[in-house]
Amino acid sequence: MFSASVRAGAASSSRLQCRSLATAASSSSTAPSEPLTHFRITLRRSAISLPSNIKGTLAALGIHRRLQTVYHRHTADIAGKILTVKELVTVENVPESAVRTKLEQRQDRKSSRGYEVAGSKLDSEL
Amino acid sequence: MFGAFRPTQPTFVGLLWKTPWKLSRTRKANVRARLKQVDSVIEAVRASGVQCKALDKALELPKEHEMPPRDKYTVFSRHEKGYRKGIHKVPKWTRLTLRTNPKGF
Repeated sequence: MFSASVRAGAASSSRLQCRSLATAASSSSTAPSEPLTHFRITLRRSAISLPSNIKGTLAALGIHRRLQTVYHRHTADIAGKILTVKELVTVENVPESAVRTKLEQRQDRKSSRGYEVAGSKLDSEL
Repeated sequence: MFGAFRPTQPTFVGLLWKTPWKLSRTRKANVRARLKQVDSVIEAVRASGVQCKALDKALELPKEHEMPPRDKYTVFSRHEKGYRKGIHKVPKWTRLTLRTNPKGF
């Protein structure tokens, strides 16, 4: 019983370590020399029952639901919009290469299928 | 008289919600975490190198570590005795900026 629990604890700790390493790798995957040109904006807190100017600002940033992430260039108007909703969002500065469209973000979230299609017999016969 | 049917105000008078007069230790920790989160957003915008009036105004706000506990957990109120009330009495207080006091308070 005791040993089992210890093993489970060790396994979970190693998994945690793996996760932290994985996240560290993903964050440092971009080259450090690349200039940071974009804001990565994620809505953490909902704007429900907040004034309409705050809700409108979120719509202007292209954010429609919580935990949605959008990318915008470093410009003064976007900076002002971020600061209007600074209680609701988290912001990071990212390089051009880290910018993802909605579709790309969805592809990144997908898990791998566990196999790759090497080819089709139909294609080889034709 | 203990248990579920003890004669307390909520059981006797029906709908009765009470707001504690001060924040608990946990709620104060959450306040500090939220203040730090907002500080990090302002810092990210500052680090981007963009210049705008909204950023100048945001940088004038005191940071979480610069604020006295009095400003973190209470706000000015002209109706209260001593001109302060708990910040949790302000509607939507977790999503508002309530860092500074009126001049002289």
